[in-house]
Amino acid sequence: MEVLGFPESVGELTETLRQGGYLADRGLATALFVSLSLNRPILLEGEVGVGKTEVAKVMASVFGRKLIRLQCYEGIDTSQALYEWDYARQMLHIRALSEHQVADPDAVDKLFGPKFLLERPLLEAVRTGDQAVLLIDEIDRADDEFEAFLLEVLSDFQISIPEIGTIKAASPPLVVLTSNRTRELHDALKRRCLYHWIGYPAAEREVEIVLIREPGISAALARKVVAAVQRLRELDLAKPPGVAETIDWARTLDFLGEPDLTNARDTLGAVVKDRDDLEVVLDNLQEITSGARGA
Amino acid sequence: MPAAPELERVPFTGLLVTFAGELRAAGLAVGSGDVLVYCSALSKLNPADLVDLYWVGRATLVNRHDDIAVYDRVFRRFFLAADEGASDPLTLMLRASAEAQGALAIPSTEPGESEHEEDAILGWMASDVEALKHKSFTACTPEELAALRRIMARIKLTPPRRRTRRNTPARTGPRPDPRRMVRETLRMHGEPARLYWRRRKVRLRPLILILDVSGSMADYSRNLLQFAHSAARSAGRVEVFCFGTRLTRVTGAMECRRPDEALERAARLSFDWDGGTRIGDSLDAFVRGWARRGVCRGGIVVVCSDGLDRGDPAVLASALERLSRLCHRLVWLNPHKGDDPGFRPSTLGMIVAAPHIDLLLSGHDLSSLEKLATLLPTLG
Repeated sequence: MEVLGFPESVGELTETLRQGGYLADRGLATALFVSLSLNRPILLEGEVGVGKTEVAKVMASVFGRKLIRLQCYEGIDTSQALYEWDYARQMLHIRALSEHQVADPDAVDKLFGPKFLLERPLLEAVRTGDQAVLLIDEIDRADDEFEAFLLEVLSDFQISIPEIGTIKAASPPLVVLTSNRTRELHDALKRRCLYHWIGYPAAEREVEIVLIREPGISAALARKVVAAVQRLRELDLAKPPGVAETIDWARTLDFLGEPDLTNARDTLGAVVKDRDDLEVVLDNLQEITSGARGA
Repeated sequence: MPAAPELERVPFTGLLVTFAGELRAAGLAVGSGDVLVYCSALSKLNPADLVDLYWVGRATLVNRHDDIAVYDRVFRRFFLAADEGASDPLTLMLRASAEAQGALAIPSTEPGESEHEEDAILGWMASDVEALKHKSFTACTPEELAALRRIMARIKLTPPRRRTRRNTPARTGPRPDPRRMVRETLRMHGEPARLYWRRRKVRLRPLILILDVSGSMADYSRNLLQFAHSAARSAGRVEVFCFGTRLTRVTGAMECRRPDEALERAARLSFDWDGGTRIGDSLDAFVRGWARRGVCRGGIVVVCSDGLDRGDPAVLASALERLSRLCHRLVWLNPHKGDDPGFRPSTLGMIVAAPHIDLLLSGHDLSSLEKLATLLPTLG
């Protein structure tokens, strides 16, 4: 079954991702390849804006799979993640049944049948199976009870609904979990996942990334922006800019028709998003942009 | 190799398992399930490729960012042996950070003979408990301290509560509960009998204790650590950090049930016990490394320090300003405040900190800690 272009090797996967507009380094590509071949969820951690969520989106688009996203937040519970019964319709149905005096023995069974079941992301992913990429985004935001609940889903890819029974994925979807490390995740959850840490890319790679995401930008501008951002990361900033910020900044400068960073001051808002950081950057602006020019 | 792949696999798997064993010896939690996944992952790849070998192991056997450095070191020793500068991509990627080695002194937290004298002390303590309550920790004898610690273990710290976004069934409430309603309606043969409600749950706010263990605070901090231990065991989510010249997270050590063992482990973790103080830098490290990621979001941060800072006060000021914006309430325990109600902070650190603190308490004796315990739930 090579119809979906299932990758044969790490190199092939890297190439496929590149065509999808994502430059994965060897480590990430290896982890994704293993995750695909062994059907294991992959947990991505890393600084903000290094493309953790993007991995899932690109994997979905290059393999023609459906992206199912579960955005985690504090207080998320099963009815938002798994399934929910359509209570309003159930109530109406019950009223209708009693008014027409229908004594159908199957009536109650129908009431808790697929017709009244609202699928939420996890159930949808299990049903779709290997035609889906399930993105569980920012799992660290959900409370820890939710992690425990994810265990069953992630280890067996099956969901038990008391009224219907157990639904099991014939072949499991690719599962990508992301975390910003606002707290340590439970070991039990981590044990079921492959783990990969995405760091900031090296300068040449980041230039490539900018060019592949924004093909309209001149290579010279991209190089200057990347050099400046790399310099910003060396500064003692509270929130160092991620790759997403680099791309944003390059796009902003390009949109304004700036050939280089001489007027960088006006566009700093694309990369520096903290007032204290802004002060530090403005103090060193000359050095940052001139360093970029030298590179 | 292509002639007999099955035979080839056996010694090769043995090698991988030995490698996993080495990792385990180096302190990584590698289960046999992980080793299975590791081996089957490599069977899909070319195991002779060193880079694949490295990345597959890292993806399957490591599951914490902090463990990556250890993995790198073991990998280099095991697969690259003496050849440190092997292939180029590897030398680029395997950058194990030099691990700081420091001599440390483990404070004796409990006088040795106290175990079998426990009964006697407890009896004596009951009569003298009021006097002991107002005696500053520095003035206590080791026996008195041991007794105080036992009382302290009984103080329950209850952080204030906040409403979460989760719902729970309730007798009355702002939202209807359709799930229960449908079930009950079915039970009544389709006749909706009454309305059921849900309301939002309440939950304890996280509590973060940041303790100064430098020389000037040593007498207090040991007791406070004990206090932290009992807090960590009673309240919901508690994080404990220690600092002298640098910040150390000791939450893991606090999970030990026995207080003495927990304190000993915490002391082993913080290298700079009884050393100098750099409050500004330590709090700055906390804000950057932890608070910004949301550790104390919506939580109560309790800093315990005398404010004797050897670093730059500007760093402390900016760190505290950020911290006060990131957390819900900032409480400062300063033992030098003592029982004096008209206390005015005199150290530079305290003067700088004052505008950002919500509540200043002393924490120098037992009664002040009890005061903290009673005030804590009201900070919501």
